[in-house]
Amino acid sequence: MNASELQPIEQFLQTHAPFDVLSTALIARCAREMTIGYYAKASAFVEFDPVNPKLYLVRSGAFEVRDPQGVLVDRVAEGECFGFSTLLSGEKVVNKVAILEDGLVYHIPQALFTDLRSQNRQFDTFFTRAFAQRLRNEHKFKAKDLTTTSRITNLMSQTPISIEANASVQQAAKLMRDHRVSSVLVLHDQQLVGILTDRDLRNRVLAEGLDGQASVDKVMTKQPQTVASNALVFEAMLLMSEHNIHHLPVVDNQQAKGMITSTDILRSQSSQPLLLIGEIDRQASIERLIHVSKQIPVLLQNLISADARAEEIGRVLTSVTDALTRRLIVLNQQLLGKAPMAFCWLAFGSQGRQDQVACSDQDNGLLLAHEPDEFAAAYFDKLTHAVCKGLDQCGYIYCPGDIMAQNPQWRLSLQQWQQKFKKWVMSPEPKALMHASIFFDMRAVFGPQTLFDELQDSVMSHTKDNDIFLAGMAGNSLQQTPPLGFFRKFVLERDGSEVKGMDLKHKGSALINDIARVYALSAGIKEVNTAKRIRALMDANIINRKDALNLADAHEFIAHMRLANQGYQANHNLVVSNYLKPQDLSSLLRHQLRDAFKVVHDAQSGLKLKFTRSF
Amino acid sequence: MVNHLWLKSRFWLDSLSKQQGSHERHLIEYQQSLTQQFTRTIYDADLMAIDLEMTGLDPMKDQIISIGLVPISKGTIPLVKAQHLMISIDGSVGQSATVHGIVDHQLQDALPVDAAMEWLLKATQGHILVAHHAPMDMAFIQQSLQNVFGQRLLLPFIDTLMIEKSRYLRQHGQLVEGCVRLGQSRERYHLPVYAGHNALIDAIACAELFLAQVSALGGSTQIKCHELVGLSK
Repeated sequence: MNASELQPIEQFLQTHAPFDVLSTALIARCAREMTIGYYAKASAFVEFDPVNPKLYLVRSGAFEVRDPQGVLVDRVAEGECFGFSTLLSGEKVVNKVAILEDGLVYHIPQALFTDLRSQNRQFDTFFTRAFAQRLRNEHKFKAKDLTTTSRITNLMSQTPISIEANASVQQAAKLMRDHRVSSVLVLHDQQLVGILTDRDLRNRVLAEGLDGQASVDKVMTKQPQTVASNALVFEAMLLMSEHNIHHLPVVDNQQAKGMITSTDILRSQSSQPLLLIGEIDRQASIERLIHVSKQIPVLLQNLISADARAEEIGRVLTSVTDALTRRLIVLNQQLLGKAPMAFCWLAFGSQGRQDQVACSDQDNGLLLAHEPDEFAAAYFDKLTHAVCKGLDQCGYIYCPGDIMAQNPQWRLSLQQWQQKFKKWVMSPEPKALMHASIFFDMRAVFGPQTLFDELQDSVMSHTKDNDIFLAGMAGNSLQQTPPLGFFRKFVLERDGSEVKGMDLKHKGSALINDIARVYALSAGIKEVNTAKRIRALMDANIINRKDALNLADAHEFIAHMRLANQGYQANHNLVVSNYLKPQDLSSLLRHQLRDAFKVVHDAQSGLKLKFTRSF
Repeated sequence: MVNHLWLKSRFWLDSLSKQQGSHERHLIEYQQSLTQQFTRTIYDADLMAIDLEMTGLDPMKDQIISIGLVPISKGTIPLVKAQHLMISIDGSVGQSATVHGIVDHQLQDALPVDAAMEWLLKATQGHILVAHHAPMDMAFIQQSLQNVFGQRLLLPFIDTLMIEKSRYLRQHGQLVEGCVRLGQSRERYHLPVYAGHNALIDAIACAELFLAQVSALGGSTQIKCHELVGLSK
């Protein structure tokens, strides 16, 4: 029989690590000697054959590996393997593999697995490393911290600067000057043979009295230490301190991919949130503040690659925005003089809810203790314009809807704000309400809390148990529904163009924000952060425990997917957006996302029943 | 049902054994090897997924051009036992080449139809055949047996399309066009989409669908063969 007749199966192997490193002949052999099994969710666990251990390669479906104590060890989806621990250790199977989603699995018998490992070193390394990783990362699914979990790929220079080994040191020095780098990779026949650093130029060229024509390979550091792009930053730090070096070429499959320096690592450390906020508070000029704010996107990337909880990421990023806003107010007050009266800087929308992420725009306003006279009006006009401009320069672009403190419409006294809210609440025109919803997620970022409390108390007194208003808000929030049907649809539009994907913000997170807001306003709960609102609603017995926990989980999961997707987009130089393509997901994630959307759907039904039934 | 199948087989065997040629002995052996399968569970039975590629849909006029076979044993599909045979035909592959991706020059190593039928009987002896839309494949096999041996067989088979049809009807009340085709049926069980389209890949695809169907029906150890088997004369 012709080997290529199993082509779809071979193709699958060819496109999934580590099988992708095998030769065509080995792939064909592997496909030939596998057996195919089907695992149904109904049977709960994979039954292992103790006599003939195998490697299990998941073709479709989703699985979970748990240790005898029931702790999650690994999640396995399409293209991933389980069973290798037993094959490598020779010990009997102790972990249990739960079937989360029906699936097709390729079985690779032990003899074949051993043979493939002996015939291909990379294939072997993949599994021994995965095995070691699993032993190390017993707590992989628990909280992670930044240095130990972010990977080299996120920090390294993407375009490596390199030079041929027979070039002169002068050429090398020129190249380094032109690219403003402190080291270059030295290549011969496309292979990395060494690196040349500032220190080499000083110690081995200048100090030795060589001239600029000396060839690079005479003075370079030969066979340098290298690191793989998927290694942990932590591992790179260890290598550097062990060998007392500051530059590490990043090498994958013998190909130089880039360079990582101790400075890169240092810089990534300084964009940790506490350090960044500290730095913001120390800056004495607006220019410096703008400069420091350039680290915010790096912070976001770090948090995402560290797999932090989405809720934490939102809180951390928002606290940076808050710090920046406060610092801008203080610095501008130093220029303009003391304020003529007490005031609060209000944050609305995502900043109010503390769930800011990438590409946020400004939504803010000013709350004045009382009606300003002409002088005070002029003062606050200048102050707000300066702060909003500062925020814009720091990356928080002007609000397209002009909901900003610099707009006199949103720079009001306590009494005016109270009237404004009263008007929204008492005569709820659906359309006006829709635009007003972000105002109900408000928080004071600067100014006396007592002043803000006065405003919030009066708002709550109007919204609490106000059936007509709540019905209007609920009705608005039911205009959008989660994309449950999307999973079944085609990946291409009828005209052949690619579909944009699922809008995780407007059809996911925003819906949960809406639901939590309506409930919170109905019960007079002052929290504005969605997770906190849900928790408060659960504690007050307004939403039952199970539904509340489900909704909070769904909120976290959807927000997490959105952040992870944006992190991926940013890493791959794609336009950062809220759209996720379901076909890019593993079936496990797809499965979980579908569950999350179902929770949103159910919560919407509950909202409808509770608030809109009589209208 | 068991008795009924068994009786029918017996009767067929008796009528065959009255004629005494080598072909007939061959066919008797083949037939005998099947009867013991009926009472076994799907898990323990010897099954063989089969798919044929033909030049058209009419068994009287059209010809088989390739056969894909893969056994189903103990709830798994051992690819090492998968087989793919090309059959040389009269005339040209013609229109259907665009569907199967088989062009004439690939058929040069092919067996003539009489050798191919002997090969088929040997390869599938002792196995109940499993096919998607099995009556069609059975009709082509019977016609070829008739042409080659002058004799049809009593062929038990399992039809994954029939299984799917009754399952779909149970769940949805009525059928939708195309809903029980191989691809659509597989989709419902989250089975992967195979880009390739030849007799062997389709036989594998059918075998996988069968495993999925059986586990949806309660598992391979819970169902006996005769519950799913149909007969072709």
